[in-house]
Amino acid sequence: MRRWGQAATRNAGDAEAGGARAGAGAGIGAGGRVAARRTQAEQRESRVAVGLSELERWLADQIGQGIAQARQSAPAEWDDLARRLVDAQAPGAAGTVTRLTRVLGAEDWPGLLLGEYALLRLLAVAHRRAAALPEPLRQTVRARVGYPVTRESVLATPAVRDHWDVVGCRDEEQDRLVARRVWLAGRTTGRLAMVLSFSPVGQPLESFPPPGATIDADLAFYPGASPLRALLAERRGLVDAGPPPGTKVSQVPALIAEVLAADPWSDSWPLVLDGAVACLDGLADDEGNALPLHPSAGVPWRLLAVSGGRPVTVAAEWTPRGLLPLTVWNEDGGAVRL
Amino acid sequence: MPWEELVSTALVGADRRAVPPESLLERAAEQVVRMRAGRRPGRGRPPAPAAAETMPLVPGAAADRLARMLAGEQGRLLTEWLETAAARRVRVPAEMIPGLLDLGARDRSIRACLGAVTGVRGRWLAGLNPAWAYLLAEPAHVPPDEVWELGTSGDRRAFLAALRRRDPAAARELLDRGWSAETPEDRAVFVTILADGLGMADEPFLEAALDDRRREVRQAAADILTRLPRSRLALRMTARARRLVTGNGSRLRAEPPPHCDDAMERDGVRARPPAGMETRGWWLQQVVAHTPLSFWPDHLGMPPDEIAAARIGDWQREVRMGWTRAAILQRDATWARALFEAEPLTDLLAVLPPEERSRRAAELVAGHPVDGQMVMMLGGVPRPWGQRLARAVLNKIVETTRTQPWNAGELIRLAGERFDPAMHEYAGEVPELAATLRFRFEMLKELE
Repeated sequence: MRRWGQAATRNAGDAEAGGARAGAGAGIGAGGRVAARRTQAEQRESRVAVGLSELERWLADQIGQGIAQARQSAPAEWDDLARRLVDAQAPGAAGTVTRLTRVLGAEDWPGLLLGEYALLRLLAVAHRRAAALPEPLRQTVRARVGYPVTRESVLATPAVRDHWDVVGCRDEEQDRLVARRVWLAGRTTGRLAMVLSFSPVGQPLESFPPPGATIDADLAFYPGASPLRALLAERRGLVDAGPPPGTKVSQVPALIAEVLAADPWSDSWPLVLDGAVACLDGLADDEGNALPLHPSAGVPWRLLAVSGGRPVTVAAEWTPRGLLPLTVWNEDGGAVRL
Repeated sequence: MPWEELVSTALVGADRRAVPPESLLERAAEQVVRMRAGRRPGRGRPPAPAAAETMPLVPGAAADRLARMLAGEQGRLLTEWLETAAARRVRVPAEMIPGLLDLGARDRSIRACLGAVTGVRGRWLAGLNPAWAYLLAEPAHVPPDEVWELGTSGDRRAFLAALRRRDPAAARELLDRGWSAETPEDRAVFVTILADGLGMADEPFLEAALDDRRREVRQAAADILTRLPRSRLALRMTARARRLVTGNGSRLRAEPPPHCDDAMERDGVRARPPAGMETRGWWLQQVVAHTPLSFWPDHLGMPPDEIAAARIGDWQREVRMGWTRAAILQRDATWARALFEAEPLTDLLAVLPPEERSRRAAELVAGHPVDGQMVMMLGGVPRPWGQRLARAVLNKIVETTRTQPWNAGELIRLAGERFDPAMHEYAGEVPELAATLRFRFEMLKELE
């Protein structure tokens, strides 16, 4: 085992948009600080509630009038709506609205858009009735709406130690920040995790072992009904472990059903598939069961090249519209980023 | 309400169908989650498995460098990487094949190397993507015997070339047996393969190929027959040339043919000139180009160097071009040398032995300023450049960098690609050149 990192390294900028910057002013005593923080939290709750009830009304109006013209008129309205949701301190909901443009390019956009509108309303309604929800689901709702969770509170929860396989990594640029998602799969616990880090465009992201590596580490999970996002609480070292164990293609629907049962808004979940053959438009097992790829993935030529018509271990991101391949392990056990 | 009905109601507007929008959204939410959670796997169409590889993988360091080159670092050296890997009979990692095949789709010059270094998996992928189908026409390594009956056209070409090297007659006879069933593209390539180990025994087969339906096949056969001075085509061309170019003491006279008849066309003379060329001059040039060079000294009463330097009057350009083309087609070093003295055309250098080629290029470099013509001439000298040429070019670069730095760039890039990379230690005065040579030095070491 090699040592490669420091214990409890901090991620660079943990950019929760509108994150908890509730610092106290100078000269206020401890009791005053607590009181000030409570007032601020209450103010936020009521602002969010107002913003989300406006969102509910807006959605009802859209569906009442019909969405046939959405391709022409909606994007401008979404911009406006997203801005108001940011003002209402609901950046998570705002982000969902901003991403709605992605569905308009699809042939079946009316169905996709109705689905997104319906889930947005479900989120607003769930927030309205949050008091009646079980605690984990309430946390999920708060996270999706965009309430900040401090690193300290996450790191204060019991961490999960395991040998974590790095199964995927993707960098995406958004708002002059590069967001890096690293997906991990635990060897012993079978748990999956996603570590998110940010850095300004042009600056290097904090280094992380590449896909194919296995790390002995403690992860602290953000609260929620279907927890996935995590912080690296302690890095202990690298492990030589070979390709990660995976699930069968035929087991994926049950797995995803479980994720969605706990968190119906979930639109991304890492999968490690074992014995999957790459096809031109999906991943199949030896019985011919196949999971389709996301339309944006195109023909996965690199994946096809490594698979060569034979079963391989593949990591992919599940999304409601299909899989996005992340990593494939070749016959020598080497990981290839896709 | 089924999903389709929810969608159509949402499209036209829930108000119009008297459905409360809130309840429509609620039902849609329930259904969309149920659909996402309940999606069953579809039926997959996995491609048939690829066969096992026969060649070893390139060393890891070489593969890493290739990945960097594909990402843009020293991209001009990619061809050398591929050629070296192909010669060493190693294959690239599977995940790099798609990127390479995309490059090959745009750049024909690397296709032959790709046929070798992408191995079995490359061919398997080419069968799945029409944009990469060109790969199937490139030879892979060591085709087995049954390839002639069953193989891709690239494998069959490689098989025929290998057989030709071993047993020229057997290759010709094999070709003769199934000739009429071959595609025109294959026929044209197969004829050029006969250039290796050419002899009068091939003459009847090639003479018959002059009647092929496809022009490329006829052209290839005619080009090769000019290398056999006793072939019927060579004799017919000699008879034409005898009338068209005549000597009178030290002066030569040329007269283009009055027309291009069927017999001339059958012998590979193309009636239509390229744009900008005078038609009869074009015919004259082609007749001279397809006449055995051994005919001229006796006919004109002078040795090749005097012929090449002689003045010919009106059609001098066409006749000289014809001799130049003939020297290249017939790979005649004596004539190439003589013609190069008269006019230093790059194409002629290719016919000369490497040592001489390097010396002549070096002389030219030393005596001329850097200009487009010099860069073009040097571009025709394949790597690796010998010591002598390399030294001359290095001196020229150093001199030009001092006086006209804006003119040195292209020469530095060319030198970087063509010098023997071991020279990187002596190129310190030109950092850009030294860096490229060092890159190649390490690149070639990794591929050993």
